[in-house]
Amino acid sequence: MSGLAKLQQQFMDLLQGESSDISEQIAQQGQLNTQQRLSIYQSAYKIRLRAVIEQDHEQLGIYLGDDLFEMMVDGYLALYPSTHTSLRIFAEKLPDYLAANTPFSDYPILADIAKFERLLLSTFDASDKTLLNVSELESIEPQQWPTLLLKLHPSVQLVVFNTLAVESWQAIKQKQTPPEPRVSEPRFWVVARDAQRRTQYLSVDAQEYRLLSLLKQNTPFAQLCQSCLNELPGEKIAGFLITKINQWLERGWLISE
Amino acid sequence: MTNRFLGFGLGLRAPHFEQIIADKPAVDWFEIISENYFVAGGKPWHYLNKIRADYPIVMHGVSMSIGSIDPIDKDYLNQLKNTIARVEPHWVSDHLCFTQVGGINSHDLLPMPYTSEALDHLANKISQVQDYLGREMIFENVSSYLTYNDSQMSEWEFLAQLHKQTGCKFLMDVNNVYVSARNHDFNAMDYLSAIPSTAIAQIHLAGHQDFGTHIIDTHDEDVPDAVWDLYAQYAKTLNPVSTMIERDDNIGSLDDLITELEHAKALVKPFWDIRS
Repeated sequence: MSGLAKLQQQFMDLLQGESSDISEQIAQQGQLNTQQRLSIYQSAYKIRLRAVIEQDHEQLGIYLGDDLFEMMVDGYLALYPSTHTSLRIFAEKLPDYLAANTPFSDYPILADIAKFERLLLSTFDASDKTLLNVSELESIEPQQWPTLLLKLHPSVQLVVFNTLAVESWQAIKQKQTPPEPRVSEPRFWVVARDAQRRTQYLSVDAQEYRLLSLLKQNTPFAQLCQSCLNELPGEKIAGFLITKINQWLERGWLISE
Repeated sequence: MTNRFLGFGLGLRAPHFEQIIADKPAVDWFEIISENYFVAGGKPWHYLNKIRADYPIVMHGVSMSIGSIDPIDKDYLNQLKNTIARVEPHWVSDHLCFTQVGGINSHDLLPMPYTSEALDHLANKISQVQDYLGREMIFENVSSYLTYNDSQMSEWEFLAQLHKQTGCKFLMDVNNVYVSARNHDFNAMDYLSAIPSTAIAQIHLAGHQDFGTHIIDTHDEDVPDAVWDLYAQYAKTLNPVSTMIERDDNIGSLDDLITELEHAKALVKPFWDIRS
């Protein structure tokens, strides 16, 4: 290993909290000793990454409280050091960490809040597409409808939680007491940008969630209709779906392809 | 091309997006953090596209890790190349340092040792990156809190030698020179005057936290008097160089930053042939 390679590895070992001989490489000078000089870099490393987690997961941090938040940061940093050039991605595995490591894994709502916050981030900077408008929809010939593939905007994300994660997140954001962290019936959510690029989230029922999931899978309109056969009389399905499609259109969830 | 004088600019920061679009303030150009735009779309690109219609933009990266012994990160360079194609910046800069080792990213600008090995390594990496991007880059001096026993030359000798070896130009962060000068007890003007003036493509001005025994480069304060003095002294030795106030934290109002920018302009006006 070259001198440069050895020095850089020793420096990274120091930041990672591993055994390192870097102090032997540091010149003695001025009013600070070697340990003080190295500790500036050690502190900056943790402060910077901690700040990323705090910024990306603000409500989770409040929900956890200071002590558990610090425990989470230390644990996450040890297991998931940054392997990306962008800090935007650094905390991407935080939901996985919370779901798999005690004491956090004893409370599934924590991983769900973290996942919800990551979805908000993904929605915020998802790619831009031209939105589908009413006249485009109206210009579709009747014979084209069965094979019609409606496309969701890239910012539209679907998630199911069996906890009151979103309700708790919302309560914390509004500085209110969150509900008890009980396991709930499945709750279906859509996170998406609106036409003004504002990030929104909306509770939907199981049926709408299923329809949106089918759109994500590039399912043609005829199959959307078929998927409703157990829930609606046949003659009402098309009208029901047209109403839904118009709602999605107004929310800016459908794109023009 | 990278020595074109654009005037006096600011770092483009999210809290100021809407005011810049609405008021079109008298700022000559803006510098973006390259990696903030390694995203597909949404508000970051929406605002940037509006602002770049009215202002020249330059790009400043923090994650190239040009000094790292890790191989060139092609994924990173592809993202940078794509962003350059969308932004069409006047120039692109990053830092003379290493941030990543063994695939782990410190997200800090870690100092290089000033050795012939590091010089050759940097010259080779700069050549690879510029070839891949198909354009020249400029590189910023970083502030530091330590030096290495292995160093065979001073930082300024290292930079001058790198310029001689590669022709690469520099983004001279005057605050970083001041911070390192205090932390390592050297004369800041010795540093600045050792680098050929023709090698300076851009100047950063920023603030720091002074702890008496040492200074931490925080970019969260107004530019202090000592840095203004150093800038004014340095400017006497230069032809006009595009100068920018860099604020990364405790960002404050756009108006306050513009006031600082006006101060920078007033300081150099006696030496530089610039329109007010």
